Amino acid sequence: MSWSLNEIESLARKAARGAGLSWGLAEEAGKATRWLTAAGLPGPEALADLLTRNDGADYDMLCPVEAREAHWSAKGGTLCPLVAGAALCDRAEALAAGDNMTLGQTASPMLLLPYLAAAAQLAGRGLRVSWGELTVTLAGDMHLQPANANALHAPLADSVRIECTGTRLPDAPSPAKGRGQMPPDVQQRLNAFAQRTYAPATEASRLAGAGAGLTDND
Amino acid sequence: MEQTQSKTIAPRDPDVVMQLSRLGSFHQSRLSFMRILLRRLEAEAWTFDRPVFDIDARGVGRAVYSAHGPERSYSLVAFANDLPPEKRSDRVIATEWDATFTLFDGIPTTADLDRLQNNVPKQEAGRVSERELSLSRANRSVRLWDYVVEKLAAGEQPDQTTVEKVGYLMRTTAVYGSGKFGAADREDTADRPEFQAPFQIEMLSVFLTRAFVMDLVEHMAQSRAPDTAVPLDPNLRRRFGMGNSTGLGMAPFLLTHPALLNSWIAAREEALARIRGLPDAHPSEVDIFRSFALRARLHAQDWYSEHPVQIAKLDALRADTAALLAHLDSVDLTADYPWNRLWLWAESALSVEGQELLASLLLEPYPHLVDGLSSCMGADETTTWRIDGAMSTDRLRTLTESIYRWALDTDWTSPEAQARVWYTSEEKLEPRLGDRFDEPVEPYEQPLCPGRDAARMYVDLCAASNTTVAGFLMHHPEHRHIVRRVQITARLPYAEIRDNTIADTVMPIDMLRLKLSFFGACHFDPRSDRWVRINMYQHAPFPHELGSRSGDDWAYPFLTGGAA
Repeated sequence: MSWSLNEIESLARKAARGAGLSWGLAEEAGKATRWLTAAGLPGPEALADLLTRNDGADYDMLCPVEAREAHWSAKGGTLCPLVAGAALCDRAEALAAGDNMTLGQTASPMLLLPYLAAAAQLAGRGLRVSWGELTVTLAGDMHLQPANANALHAPLADSVRIECTGTRLPDAPSPAKGRGQMPPDVQQRLNAFAQRTYAPATEASRLAGAGAGLTDND
Repeated sequence: MEQTQSKTIAPRDPDVVMQLSRLGSFHQSRLSFMRILLRRLEAEAWTFDRPVFDIDARGVGRAVYSAHGPERSYSLVAFANDLPPEKRSDRVIATEWDATFTLFDGIPTTADLDRLQNNVPKQEAGRVSERELSLSRANRSVRLWDYVVEKLAAGEQPDQTTVEKVGYLMRTTAVYGSGKFGAADREDTADRPEFQAPFQIEMLSVFLTRAFVMDLVEHMAQSRAPDTAVPLDPNLRRRFGMGNSTGLGMAPFLLTHPALLNSWIAAREEALARIRGLPDAHPSEVDIFRSFALRARLHAQDWYSEHPVQIAKLDALRADTAALLAHLDSVDLTADYPWNRLWLWAESALSVEGQELLASLLLEPYPHLVDGLSSCMGADETTTWRIDGAMSTDRLRTLTESIYRWALDTDWTSPEAQARVWYTSEEKLEPRLGDRFDEPVEPYEQPLCPGRDAARMYVDLCAASNTTVAGFLMHHPEHRHIVRRVQITARLPYAEIRDNTIADTVMPIDMLRLKLSFFGACHFDPRSDRWVRINMYQHAPFPHELGSRSGDDWAYPFLTGGAA
């Protein structure tokens, strides 16, 4: 069974919110998971692993701090790619202008890629991301072709380097299409996070909350 | 006042248009999605057939209705059920329906039909695939269904007034599109010309569903009394629309698709501004306008509701149509910017219902100025969605003050201002509205109150020392969603509802009506402040009649009962 990308984005957004991210960050986590899925990468797994790892963590512990010029690290020791990714995307212009960045220890670095792809698109310049033995160039298409798939799926990177390639990108590509796969255990884990955003059903809510009460049998 | 040398009329101010009471008074127009669809089907000479109609005397079975366009075909796959009355509910939490449907991308094989038969009748509990574009269901209007079957079986036509009191034989209770329950994402089909305008999949599905429902009622009468039964008279048949019952599920969509909302409103406002800017009108255009005003009066007369708020609005609307027709007899509308003069008169002479009806009516005589705008009504949310972190906090402050002035002037500490909470129930994930101070739902609040959130953000923004939006959001991730909305609305002025969506006085049906009016729905009949019934495609030609009858001239009742 395959999933539509909208289903995956929607589940990912709710799961991220359920795990404690703000609405704005959760919206972007949904888009990031969709982007990875469309690129043929296991976005839902990466998200489920990350949310499990950071469940209950304080934002202040995950949030990037500029330890020294152009070098971010987290107060809690490990950066969250959903928080750092959004912050990097907010600095798209600076990245495109050649302000290269280094991140300290970062969880599930693959989840940075959609944010950096968006940043590259926003600023119209290609970006190169590397951690461990791996380098990925984000230049406006979805063909990442990583040489080392294991590094791509790494649960942790000691550091991540982000540089501008200088290449000018074409205008926004057409939206990514396709279907996604989600192993049942991943779906269950994301559902459990998403479930936290739903109010328990009560009879009062069933009647008043939807404004019903008149007959439908007419 | 503008001087005569330049009569370019600017589109209306979003602070005026984007108020809930006004959005909740919108009417269908030339830019409604049903009309856009039927104009296309007619212009491209689409053909229709019914390759499967396998339904027994109890009304149980399946049918396929196919539509063939220049490049592709689509098929409505329908499953009919014999539903016990106690199971019939318009609520999302229902688990069985009189009929269930999917719009299939192409022509289904028997294997496809068998697969769908195992899933479509289960709706949310089933699973469809990327070959399916929509998923929907409908229940009978029992009061009218039984009456019509009885009459036709006895060889008689049903009484027209009885028919019009309800207006449809079945009402849909949800039409799911884009990727829901495994269906194809909108992005998969968005580049097809026939789906370029919004909601064309859903509108095609409902158009074919109406044809199925009418065939089914005739089939049931025929099965009951093969010797005496007659089909419906074609003129009476067209008086049946397709009903719909809509709850809160539709409201969040408007807030989560700001660029799309802007496209809809901007197209309609641009059309109105173009027509108000015309220096003169040909007498034939004035005649067309007058004829539509008469037909609109008829529509207002045939519009029934038991809801006190809608009854008051209908009284005002009927008085408005009378005032408009009287005014038309007293003024010359051929010269001196006639439509702008009429509009300015209406701003003080008519209720908001009447003003918005006039906004729709003014588009009728001018297809060449209006219909092309339908190609601007889609939107790609992704192009305006990313936050511009380089924007200065000063600029963000100025924008917030200009877009959310009303919200900054609201006292959010008063319980009335934030009396409601939008939340999602775990029951079928139904969106609901709760009482913040009486129910334990606040922890589940959805971000559907942009005014309050903008006011909260503004307080922190004024206290912040950061110079860029990026820096501000690093410290205030809780404001990220609303900063996004400010930046989107700065580019797309009609993207935001500029009103309080959580006030004690909020009428969620205003949001439903806004969306449904763009679909092309009419006869809004609120059943409560958060649930509305409507009619779709009433008076429209059936698929087999397209080509011999106008695909566009049907949205108001005909004066003589025939085609104009």
